[in-house]
Amino acid sequence: MKKRLGLVIDQERCIGCEACTVACKLENNSNGHCIRVETQNVAQKDTPEGRFPELKMDFMPRLCNHCADPPCVDSCPVEALVKREDGAVVLDQEKCDGCQLCVEACPFDAILYSGEKEKVEKCNLCVHRVDQGLEPFCVICCEGQAMHFGDMDDPSSTVSKLVAAREAFQLKPEAKTGPSVYYCPPKERRRF
Amino acid sequence: MNEKEETRLVRTVCPAHCGIDACGILAHVKGDRVVKVEPADFPNPRYRRICLRGLSSLDITYHPDRLKYPMKRVGERGEGKFERISWDQALDIIAEQFKDIASKHGWQALSWVLGGPGAGTTKFGAYLRLASLTQSTRVSAWGYGDAGLPCGSRVLLGTHTPYALLFGSIMGGESVPDMIIAWGTNPGEAQPLNIMRPIMNAKEKGALLVVIDPRFTVTASKADEYLGVKPGTDAALALGMMQVIFQKELQDAAFIKRHTVGPYLVRTDTGKFLRGKDMGVKDSQDYVIWDSNSDSPKVRSESGVESSILGTYTVNGLECKPSFQLLKDLADDYPPERASVITGVSSDIITRLAEKIGTSEKTVFVTNMGFTRTFHGDISMRALGTVAAATGNITATFRAGHRPAVLNWKPFLHADTSKPSYSRLGILQLYDAVISGKPFPIKAVWFAFVNFLNQCAHSSKIANEMFPKLDFIVATELFMTPTARYADILLPVCSYLEFSDFIPFPHPYVQLQQKVIEPLHECRSDVDIANGLAQRLGFGEYFDKGEDGFIDLILDSGDSSMEGITREKLKQGPMTLNPIPDMGQEIDIPFSTPSGKIELYSEGLREVGQALPVQLDPLETPLKPEGKKYPLSFIQGHTRFRTHSMFANVSALLELNPEPVAEINPQDAKERNISDNDMVTVFNDRGKTTLRARVTEGVRPQVVNISEGWWLDQFKEGSVNHLTHDVINPVQEAIYEPNMHMNDVAVEVVKYEEVEG
Repeated sequence: MKKRLGLVIDQERCIGCEACTVACKLENNSNGHCIRVETQNVAQKDTPEGRFPELKMDFMPRLCNHCADPPCVDSCPVEALVKREDGAVVLDQEKCDGCQLCVEACPFDAILYSGEKEKVEKCNLCVHRVDQGLEPFCVICCEGQAMHFGDMDDPSSTVSKLVAAREAFQLKPEAKTGPSVYYCPPKERRRF
Repeated sequence: MNEKEETRLVRTVCPAHCGIDACGILAHVKGDRVVKVEPADFPNPRYRRICLRGLSSLDITYHPDRLKYPMKRVGERGEGKFERISWDQALDIIAEQFKDIASKHGWQALSWVLGGPGAGTTKFGAYLRLASLTQSTRVSAWGYGDAGLPCGSRVLLGTHTPYALLFGSIMGGESVPDMIIAWGTNPGEAQPLNIMRPIMNAKEKGALLVVIDPRFTVTASKADEYLGVKPGTDAALALGMMQVIFQKELQDAAFIKRHTVGPYLVRTDTGKFLRGKDMGVKDSQDYVIWDSNSDSPKVRSESGVESSILGTYTVNGLECKPSFQLLKDLADDYPPERASVITGVSSDIITRLAEKIGTSEKTVFVTNMGFTRTFHGDISMRALGTVAAATGNITATFRAGHRPAVLNWKPFLHADTSKPSYSRLGILQLYDAVISGKPFPIKAVWFAFVNFLNQCAHSSKIANEMFPKLDFIVATELFMTPTARYADILLPVCSYLEFSDFIPFPHPYVQLQQKVIEPLHECRSDVDIANGLAQRLGFGEYFDKGEDGFIDLILDSGDSSMEGITREKLKQGPMTLNPIPDMGQEIDIPFSTPSGKIELYSEGLREVGQALPVQLDPLETPLKPEGKKYPLSFIQGHTRFRTHSMFANVSALLELNPEPVAEINPQDAKERNISDNDMVTVFNDRGKTTLRARVTEGVRPQVVNISEGWWLDQFKEGSVNHLTHDVINPVQEAIYEPNMHMNDVAVEVVKYEEVEG
């Protein structure tokens, strides 16, 4: 069935713990980290911006955006990357020849090259779980319960409701790739 | 799919010592190997959870560096040279050594130094039982840094820990307070599942979040207001807030009168509570209040009185004040402007936070050990609790619900009641017992689930003065830790997947940590090891039923909370403790203090000048750093990458957090010509450590933070505990047990090259 499966990541609840990073690597036996948690606007992770004590620190897990119009799929000369009917952009590592054209094509730096495997790696939205009716492993391991999985095209889904209620945004809309990963921005602080 | 069918699923528990979240773990087993762990289900899906350490726990079980067989030291202590021996040889040597030492110095000279058992019970129980039967010495683990909070909590509330009374109400998610104040704690990193989730849930439903911490932590990043307090000044902050609250009469007078000693009259000449006998009621030890209806003193048991909490009164010629008035007098000395100078927090925010607490319907105070790891950390805890009590923000009544599990500990604490049980020492008292034989000599230690040298204060003293004085050291360990290198006999233990245990968490559940696979290599569980030794010491009958026997024994309390809960049933999954049914009315919780009330004023501490939560100078933290040899305040926060020193050698986590860093504010770094990533040496008169600098606004100026738990060999030189001290606070020693003051240490920092040059 045609869907637009994706993730909504609530920055208000993300505590930057990197459980998603560890969970993803464990579940998918990857060499690199297909989800990486960025501490925003600073050079070193886990450090705040501003001057003490007027500080701010927000986290953003970055991963494949499972784009509606994925440039990586178009770039792959061996058809190792496929856009599925349910919206997931998946990599068939058997087919991958390690040319890395997709790495350059991805506007989100979401595809990694593994020198050890001589192939690329990326988030497959845990389709091996999704096909069994389960959620992606990162979602069930999220410490802050900040990650939500569902069909962006279904207006009654939790993810669609969150996108509407929280004015969720996509990364790099100017790239016009139609990401299926949305971010709910952190809420404004309510100073006394 | 064939692959699928071969996978066996076993429910167990990750018992790591992380705040006792006790996450349920579903282990996927193929053949005899665990291939995956995932968060297991709970009756309430809210408890389905795992953290990055739990996810990495297979890396511990299958770590190539696991200790694989018993070993005997052949090199010098600390050198790490060992030779393989059999279990029988190891246990025979230990039994022989123990008997020999006991014949010379008495059994008391043998000590069991047990670390935090995490959520586990029987591995702890097994050694307690052995200590009890042999009448040797149990060394308590609370003083590792966790004794300050109980000292404060015992004085104020009569409970060992204040958690349930302070913030139990948000844990279940039933009630949403107006405001949550996380004070001296960083649950976002240290207890993300158990505590941070409920905080974020409450915040989502409208609660304000305030964080008080010298570091801008993950928790602080979620706060509406952040107060970057100087370490060791929390009592002054609390007093500053109370000054505002009391000036504006925002205290909860009804609560103070009903649940605290606030109305009880104190003699201004002695500082003691006025008693019935002082006003002429023969032999009466009852507390006395001033009744505003009759404008006369009455014993508290008298009915129909209206107590006063303010004023000065004369009874039988004795000048007296309600203890709340004494608290107010103290707070009057700390207007926000003065509190601001001491604490480094602006007077404006102190005032507004105080007003907010005073006017809110419900403020919840969340706290933990961090800010109590200062020399007077017990008073910090009392100060926080006093603000909470004075504003009616402590749970003081009970109607229905779940109590903590009541476990049957007696057969472990005192196994043979016809004889005395073990002696007890606090961990800081062990230093003197070994080094100078006071209060009695300790000649042998058994380290279990503890990385003593790594985690205890004043490492060089341990290595150079303490360990050489010991005739015999045994360690049970998973790895060749810095402590294990000093063992004479080193015994390999199971990881959590290789043995069974009973887990009385997370409240209101109890769980079974089921053995998932047989012990790897020649490893044994602590219960098995204790059994092996007990057989040789003539106490075999107390141990021969193994882990399962101990689990049954612990379950068998006969208390209604545990009724119907059995090991067999627990194999299916977690069980809920039996609740106390609705009593139809709320009862006042009897506090286990001398007065039965919340003791805003502690008569027992008047002679040391600590009857009230006074601000006392920290031992080392330089509140006025100018011109000091060591002008920087050193603290050790917790990190999500480790549970104390556990997980420090796990590659999946080292990939994300490869080495220790010293966090230093840009202002202090600039003065010392230090840039981010430079190697720096942090030092004081006791020692030094060299590591990378992290220049960050995330720590307040004049504070240096290195997260605790890195192993000694992970630093370029030294370690955090080369800097810390083992000074005992005698007040804490008298209340309960002296604490290590890891967050009350003065240091200086220099660029590494400068030291070498």
